[in-house]
Amino acid sequence: MWKNSSLRCLLVLAILCLSLIYSQEIGSLRHSQNLKCLTHNLRKMICTWDVASRGRHGQTDFCYTTNDLPPSMCFKTKEKRVEIPVPESSTTVTITTNSISGTALTTKEFEIQKKDISFVPLTPRILSLTPDFSTSTLNLKWSDNGSVFPYGLDAFWQIQILRKEAMEKVTQVTYYSKLTHEDIILSWNWTSDMPLECTSHYVKIRCYINITQFVGPKDWSDWSPVAEVPGKDTEPHGSGVFPEDTVVAVGSDVTICCVHEEGQQIQRMTYGPEIYPMIHLSSRSSAIRVLNASASDTSGTNVVCILSGDEMDGTVLFVGYAPDVPQNLSCETSNFLIIKCTWKPGRPSGLYGKRRTKYSLFERISGKNVSCEVNEMNRERVCGFPVLADQKTYDFVLGVSNPIGQTESSVMVDLTQRVHPKTPEKLTASGNSSTSIHLHWFINGSFAEIRLLCQIEISSGHTERKLHNVSMPGGKFSVYTAQLNTLHPYTKYQFRVRCAAADHFWRWSDWSRVEEHTTLEAPPARGPDIWRERSPSGKSLKIFWKPLSLSEANGKIVSHEVSCYLLESPLEYKEVTEPSNSTEIKLGKNDCVISVVAKNHAGSSPPSRITSMELPSDNVKTDRAVAMGNGIYISWNSYPNVTCGYVVKWCHSSGSEPCSVDWQKFPSNTTDAVIKSALFRPGVRYNFSLYGCKSSGYQLLKNITGYTKELPPKRAPNFTVEETSSDSILVKWEDIPIEDCQGFLEGYRLSFAKGEKDASKPRLSESGNPELKVKNITDLTKKSLKILDLQGKTSYQLDLQAYTAGGLSPPNSLYVVTKEDSVGLIIAILIPVAVVVLLGVVASIFCYRKREWIKETFYPEIPNPENSKALQFQKTICEGNKTLKTLEMNPCTPNSVEVVETRSAAPKIEDTEIMSPAADTTAPEDGCDSETENHVVVSYCPPIIEEEISNHPMDEPVVSSQVVYIDIQSMYQPQIKPEEEPEIDLVTTAGYKPQMQLPISVLKTESRLSAEEELDKTAGYRPQANTNAWNMDTPDSPGSVESNNENASFGSPCSINSRQFLLPPKDDEDSPKPSNIGWSFTHFFQNKPND
Amino acid sequence: MAAPDSPSAALQRRDLCSRGIRLAGKMRSDVVDLLDTYVERQGLDASASVAAVEGVPVAAAERWDEQTGTQRLLENLAAYRAFRALLAQMLEEQREQLGEADAALGRALAAVLLQVSAFTYHLEELLRLESRGPPSEEAAGPPPASHLSLFERKLRGLGVLRELAQWAVRSTRDLRQLAKPSPGSSSDPSPAESP
Repeated sequence: MWKNSSLRCLLVLAILCLSLIYSQEIGSLRHSQNLKCLTHNLRKMICTWDVASRGRHGQTDFCYTTNDLPPSMCFKTKEKRVEIPVPESSTTVTITTNSISGTALTTKEFEIQKKDISFVPLTPRILSLTPDFSTSTLNLKWSDNGSVFPYGLDAFWQIQILRKEAMEKVTQVTYYSKLTHEDIILSWNWTSDMPLECTSHYVKIRCYINITQFVGPKDWSDWSPVAEVPGKDTEPHGSGVFPEDTVVAVGSDVTICCVHEEGQQIQRMTYGPEIYPMIHLSSRSSAIRVLNASASDTSGTNVVCILSGDEMDGTVLFVGYAPDVPQNLSCETSNFLIIKCTWKPGRPSGLYGKRRTKYSLFERISGKNVSCEVNEMNRERVCGFPVLADQKTYDFVLGVSNPIGQTESSVMVDLTQRVHPKTPEKLTASGNSSTSIHLHWFINGSFAEIRLLCQIEISSGHTERKLHNVSMPGGKFSVYTAQLNTLHPYTKYQFRVRCAAADHFWRWSDWSRVEEHTTLEAPPARGPDIWRERSPSGKSLKIFWKPLSLSEANGKIVSHEVSCYLLESPLEYKEVTEPSNSTEIKLGKNDCVISVVAKNHAGSSPPSRITSMELPSDNVKTDRAVAMGNGIYISWNSYPNVTCGYVVKWCHSSGSEPCSVDWQKFPSNTTDAVIKSALFRPGVRYNFSLYGCKSSGYQLLKNITGYTKELPPKRAPNFTVEETSSDSILVKWEDIPIEDCQGFLEGYRLSFAKGEKDASKPRLSESGNPELKVKNITDLTKKSLKILDLQGKTSYQLDLQAYTAGGLSPPNSLYVVTKEDSVGLIIAILIPVAVVVLLGVVASIFCYRKREWIKETFYPEIPNPENSKALQFQKTICEGNKTLKTLEMNPCTPNSVEVVETRSAAPKIEDTEIMSPAADTTAPEDGCDSETENHVVVSYCPPIIEEEISNHPMDEPVVSSQVVYIDIQSMYQPQIKPEEEPEIDLVTTAGYKPQMQLPISVLKTESRLSAEEELDKTAGYRPQANTNAWNMDTPDSPGSVESNNENASFGSPCSINSRQFLLPPKDDEDSPKPSNIGWSFTHFFQNKPND
Repeated sequence: MAAPDSPSAALQRRDLCSRGIRLAGKMRSDVVDLLDTYVERQGLDASASVAAVEGVPVAAAERWDEQTGTQRLLENLAAYRAFRALLAQMLEEQREQLGEADAALGRALAAVLLQVSAFTYHLEELLRLESRGPPSEEAAGPPPASHLSLFERKLRGLGVLRELAQWAVRSTRDLRQLAKPSPGSSSDPSPAESP
């Protein structure tokens, strides 16, 4: 312990002392300085120094001593560099600089401590730089020079990759190795992200050796000289697109370059259909970089370099996926010769042809390997491996590889548990039995080591499919046999077989092809179902039987033997060949037991027996059956005497053929049944007979009728009208035949309503006629009906329909007209006539008695204007009654009448002018609506005495005095502008001018007059009568006759609001005939003779 | 060459020519369809110009109208023999590169190869009829394509099909020319038409 600590102290002191001195000069030398020493290999060191002397000098004497070598070693040198051994601890160096002549000029002494010596490894030398253009990989080889160093030193190698002419640094990596005291050649690979052909690549290397025991400074070696891999762009005629036909993984980043010859230019570079931006590499090389490449097409992705001069170059890049791990790897054998392994390939690699995914099957136990030829397009891959002798267990490894990667999957199988036999072949059936056969088949394979389980599928036309399993020992490429029993005679069977391993079931084989076989015939299993019926005469007996079902017939029935026994002795025998199912036997009045036997080629059936005896029955009732589903439900009471069951018999009738008998047997304890038959049709009545079987014979118990479904009657009953009166109709109808009823008839429906015969008319029930009456007749015995309360001489439509539970029949229609009621008509005429006559007599008497009063009141000598109702209108109306409408006199029209004598210069005014709108413009404001007033045209429409018309010819000039209605004149004159409308229709343009309306004849006669004159005539005032007439008669009197026809319509009552007569002439607008214009109420009331 | 035609030989030649014309027409139609498929499946630009490919015979001929019938037949035969070899090579490459992935293209190529073979046989028959006999087939075959990159092979295939389509047209015209009855020899040149 002490020893160790004192040694440590000494070492520290020595280091401190040494650290104070570096190349300490021992003597005072002026010219030799900066002595430096370094070692590359720890054995020798190279020392260099500087000489400060400016003058020329000769050789240098270099002497050194080491601690362990006292005598100094000296030698002469002309250089300023010597190589001497590395001292153990330190060395003293004396450098004597001599003159040219050889005399010593200066001497300098240095002491070199070991710590002053630097360690710099020797510059590594690149042995080789090899490019692999297909993988863009550089392989660098160099020697580690380890033999000069102690074992186990750590060496670090710094490698720099440079690219392009400008030597741009691409990457720098540090490689580590351990020196083993041997010269080892080291190798390092680097894969470029750019094809090596694109441009030149350079590599240089340096090293650092970590010698921990070396006390001096350590440093990296110098860089080695660069090694170069020249690109294609350096070759005189080098060109192309790189990489060539390469496979890369989906999602990779790929650099593709185009190298061209000197003088050419790249126009563009495309990857697939897309143009990519170019990266300049050199004057003859450019590249594109595709990032995250997507899967290419089957033929790869073309990279095209379009050069100047329409030249092009290109390459194909295949982008795909590394192989997926095989899924569902499974191995089995079908014949113990080949093991078939199947798997699903998973995701497709997208690579095909020579770049496809390759599979190999390696069996670990035997060490055998087979390569698999698989169909690339198949979803499931298969690979075969031969079965090896004496090996039951197989450990398979499925190796998968493609240019991008590789993977594997494994499975271990016991072959005896993985048997999937091949499809059985050559299936045949043999046998001459009606119930059993032998099946034979062959399986291609050697199954001697296992048992086989085979499944036979048995099917026939009328039975369900059955499966029959057979276990049997396996054989080598053997024929296997199985026997099938309990088959049905005379049946065509279909068989097929499949097999699997019995002990360790794995999979069934596929089904073999179907083999057909028909079993032989056997005698019928039972006798036929039979029935008999006596003929109506009772002398013969008809025997019926039902055909046996296929399963009962056991073959093809060729005939039926019918025999009749009376106390075991045969009375009659008949053989009836197929297809007949009945026969007739002449029995007379005898009875016997009938026996029927069905025969086929294999034999006869047991006999079926029935007695011909029919027991008498009385009081047989007929019931109705109920439809149930597609059958008919019938029921009966239990008959205690019936011991051997019941028989329900019915008959199918189809058209003109005689009905075919059918029956159904029931045990004795049955009291109801649903009779079903494919022959039953809806709407057809079926009659069933229920027989009871007694020991002595059959007895008819009851009859039943029914329908499977009731339908509406096909037609309505025919009906006729028996009797018709003025208020009633008696109709009668006939029965409907049963076959037309299609159901049980429930009643009739008689509908009637007024109506004429019309083909287009709908049915009564559909017409919606509110007067439709319906009578429902539910009493089916009733065949007539009297319809009462009808109108006389009226047409009625009668519809008669029958109905069942299924609905109404179509109607039968009749049209009937009731008779006329003559008494009523006579009364209807006579009463009004009598009333009219009576009224006329009363009126005549009254008029006669009051004739004076009438004359005084209605026809005074001088008419009193105040008594004129017409002249009283104004007063009442102008008092404010504004509700006056049609037929009311205009309150604002003048009620003054001025009688003008046209011949006299100063016409005599008989009646003073009371009020005129022309004279007094304020008149309309006196409580009267001016608007209404403007439209009110007629204030007074005195009657015209047209008798005068005939007295004055048309062409007679107007010379009589005229009655002037000033108001009319003043109203219409301003509206008429003869200058503007000289030819205007006088009637329509001048407003309503009833007084001025002239007959056409008049207009014609006066056509020579000027328009102004015409207007004066038409628009102006027209006297109602000549002065003479006026003077003589009142306006109302027949004497005040207008001599001219122009005012013929004046007497019409007029509407206040209308410009037309309330009762206009019929053809007024179309043809204003003069005769129409002259129509007026006065004519009506006055009953003119010319009317 | 050529003695004057016997009537039966002339008939036979005409028959062979007319059948050859039909075959060439069908071949052209199929090659045009195949070209479309080929361009699409190989990802090529249909308008890409392809430089003359080594070993692919060129249909264009100088002084076509001055050629004798035998010359025409011999040129045709040489061309179709070359096409037969080239198409077989293409088919092989197709199988190698794509396997079963593009069966439709492979089937179309095989169909055209079959037609080319049939047409070659047809030409040999015609030459036999010219009492000349077909020249023996050189064993060399087409230049190996192994030195070509895949892209170059694609382009060569395009060139082969384009030229074959041209040849189908030329062959039709050659056979029409040959089918014309000639007074002396079938090998006399005839003016006018040029392919």
